[in-house]
Amino acid sequence: MKTLTCLRALAPALLCLSALTAPPALAQVPARFYWKSLADGNAVPLIFNSISGNTNPFDPAHIVSPGANFDGSLAIAGYARTFELFDRAAMAAILLPMGRVSGDVTVAGKTASQSASGFGDPMVEFNLNLIGPKAQKTIPDALRYEPGFSLDLLADLALPVGEYDSDQPLNVGQNRWYGRLGAPVVWQLGPWVPGRRTTLELLPAVWLFGDNNDYLGRTLQTDPLFQLDVHLTRDFTERLWGAIDLAWYNGGKASIDGVAGEKLNNIGLGFTLGYQVDSNLNLTFGYKSTINDNAPGDLKMDGFMLTLVYGWHPIIEGSRRLKSE
Amino acid sequence: MQLPRKTLIAAAMAALCATAVAAPAAAQPTKRPNIVVIVGDDLGYADLGAYGSEIRTPNLDALAREGLRFTSFYTHASCSPTRATLLSGVDTHLSGLGNMDEWTAPNQRGAVGYEGYLNDRVATLPQLLRDAGYHTYMVGKWHLGKAPSQIPAARGFERDFSLLDGAGSYWDMTNFTAASPKSVFTEDGRYLTELPDDYYATKTYTDKLIGFIDANRADGKPFFAYVAHQAPHDPYHLPRDWRNRHVGEYDRGWDAVRQERLKKQIELGITPAGTQLAERMWFVPDPIVLAPAARALAGKKMELYAGMVENMDHHVGRLIEHLKKIGEYENTIFIVFGDNGAEGTDLFKMIAGSPGSRDYLFASVNWSQTHPNAWGDPGSYVGYGPMWAQVSMTPFAQYKGWLAEGGIRNALVVSGPAVKRPAGSINHAVLSVADVMPTLLEVAGASYPQTVNGHPAPPLAGKSWGPLLANKVDSLRTTQDVLAWELFGNRALRQGDWKLRWQFKPYGKSDWELFNVATDPAERKDLAAEQPDKLRAMLALWDNYAKINNVILPSRSTFETLEDALPPRVPDDPGYPPLIYKRQFVPPKDLLADPKP
Repeated sequence: MKTLTCLRALAPALLCLSALTAPPALAQVPARFYWKSLADGNAVPLIFNSISGNTNPFDPAHIVSPGANFDGSLAIAGYARTFELFDRAAMAAILLPMGRVSGDVTVAGKTASQSASGFGDPMVEFNLNLIGPKAQKTIPDALRYEPGFSLDLLADLALPVGEYDSDQPLNVGQNRWYGRLGAPVVWQLGPWVPGRRTTLELLPAVWLFGDNNDYLGRTLQTDPLFQLDVHLTRDFTERLWGAIDLAWYNGGKASIDGVAGEKLNNIGLGFTLGYQVDSNLNLTFGYKSTINDNAPGDLKMDGFMLTLVYGWHPIIEGSRRLKSE
Repeated sequence: MQLPRKTLIAAAMAALCATAVAAPAAAQPTKRPNIVVIVGDDLGYADLGAYGSEIRTPNLDALAREGLRFTSFYTHASCSPTRATLLSGVDTHLSGLGNMDEWTAPNQRGAVGYEGYLNDRVATLPQLLRDAGYHTYMVGKWHLGKAPSQIPAARGFERDFSLLDGAGSYWDMTNFTAASPKSVFTEDGRYLTELPDDYYATKTYTDKLIGFIDANRADGKPFFAYVAHQAPHDPYHLPRDWRNRHVGEYDRGWDAVRQERLKKQIELGITPAGTQLAERMWFVPDPIVLAPAARALAGKKMELYAGMVENMDHHVGRLIEHLKKIGEYENTIFIVFGDNGAEGTDLFKMIAGSPGSRDYLFASVNWSQTHPNAWGDPGSYVGYGPMWAQVSMTPFAQYKGWLAEGGIRNALVVSGPAVKRPAGSINHAVLSVADVMPTLLEVAGASYPQTVNGHPAPPLAGKSWGPLLANKVDSLRTTQDVLAWELFGNRALRQGDWKLRWQFKPYGKSDWELFNVATDPAERKDLAAEQPDKLRAMLALWDNYAKINNVILPSRSTFETLEDALPPRVPDDPGYPPLIYKRQFVPPKDLLADPKP
């Protein structure tokens, strides 16, 4: 019997617990974040972003400040757990953004250099698979898992408790409720064999924002923002994979005391490389940049992203101890 | 072409038979029946639905329903000897396959009868049928020689599409070792440089055969088709659509499936009530003590195997459907069987070598698709192991390569115009693959020659099934008739209900054993000590068989060191040790209490 071998083979699937991470920065997650894994698994994701552009990376509304230039360092730490709900794969997570951002900010014609740092708005996330294979409740389920065409319901809710200074426009907390409803799709193209997997992944989503009633003493309102992430991913080896990433943002027109700005209609293009270090640890590195950003009012943003996800499952850990690995 | 006199007589007899069956065609001249021999490579005794399997084989089952099932049909313990006997009717120690070519022992090299290919001292069934006016076609695995004088076209087949090797990829020409990396195929006597587009062995073989049949239909001659499917021999290469037809079904483990098949066999009348299953191989765990993942992985291998069998059945169905469409089905005799016991040995382990060897490097490049989701793809190599091989051979002991019943006894279905017994009958007569040659010569009205290439033709080892199929007798063999085997140094002989057996330790005792296979088909109880007179008489028969048939016991054998490689053999007492079977003690509810402060 090669049970241990099979458990080892399963471990990379656990790393898909990275599915929980929905960083506000760039309003994107790396490809393969919505792959399913064995129920009752755990993961700790760490996401690092280094971002430049004309919008606050801590604000998923991506309100554009024409002519501004922000530099942000953002990290997100979290914890996630997979479970089974109504026989479907589900995941719940909590994510805590933190970091610093600085740059020139223009509000109502006034420009100032500002910086902010601290903890951002924590976010809770819930994801439930609707279409696709049933939840992987046992290791045999996980052994047999192939996503085929998999569609989920994704819900995020950010709690407005992050660092916020109402005297400056640049903050890491947003001082308002906001969240996202999405439908992640993972579409398996070809065999589901490590080293040969290919997927087309879509994440259509809508960000919804409450009002910030204390934005420099004014009221900030933001229309819903539609987001579509597209990833074409492909294994290079059993441990190394890559993706071409595309993101489209549309809507999200912001108003300050009723004075409306421009709505977004921007496209970002990038790539991701992923590497499974061992049966617990997975790394990704990516770069993404907006491409239709020549006009002053266009969203202009680029950034590097490094993610590190440590996943574990009690059965696999126990088996490894017995094997003295 | 002038037909031999016996051919004309047979044609006339066939015409008379057909007249009785098909009155509307009475005015038409009736040709001799077509013959289709279908061999499943490593197909187990219990793998067809008609033999108690849960594997879905509707097309082969339909042949069984319309024809006859036999329960005591013997092949050889491995493929080349069986194929040699099928196509020559002669004992393997005379026909060139006294040993498998791959395992010819030093003391057998150069000896007549041990050439490793079907030698030129035997006449072949396709040669004789062709001479009797039949078209002769072959598709599938040959494994009886690769040289130009040894290939199907040289041995009597007019048309062929053949894999000359014993196994290989189902998807391409990849073979198993660095020394012999490429499978060798022939088509109509020419060695192929590449395979047809969209090649998949079982499908392509069927396509080719249908093409052969159609190409020659116009001349009205009957045909003999040898359909030597590679399936379900490992590696279990299978189109994706066929891999997931039994998902999770085998997670319950081999013991449960074996018991279910035995129950079904008893209901069908294949196996007598009260039959006991053979011992589970002592080194195979009781599946109920395995973790779900281990059972799922092992079960998935059986899922693939079931898919292989079902895919083969599907393509047999395509052939049947085509014959019906062109009006040839009713006049076609089908003979279906597996060439030996199911495969329980890890063949890949034998051929893949060890790290650092050239074969290991070859396997790393060509056979390393080991992920379960890749099983069935090119580059994967899955066999299902001894536990499932025992399921395939329910209720018998052991499997391919060995001379226990699980190595040599197989399912046999015969249908078509030669069968005059009630449709769906089951017959328990002792039959041999050596019987096929005399049976089909009789059907075709062909005769066996006196000499072959200047040598006296060796005697046919079998008997024609004619009287049995015609419902004139219930058994061909008397209690004095003998069937005997020798392969890899293992030996066996059956006479009446008795079977003498010598096998290497630990599968045997490296000594003679004696079984009554009528009352103990699972060969659980060695009666050698209790029946010394019978043992002595059987030994004398064996000595006589060995002398007459040129048996040279090998000085080396693939099994010679097996005892050192396996755990010591112990009985398979159910429930032992209790340590791993006892369940959680549950105290009476009224005696439950919380700890006192």
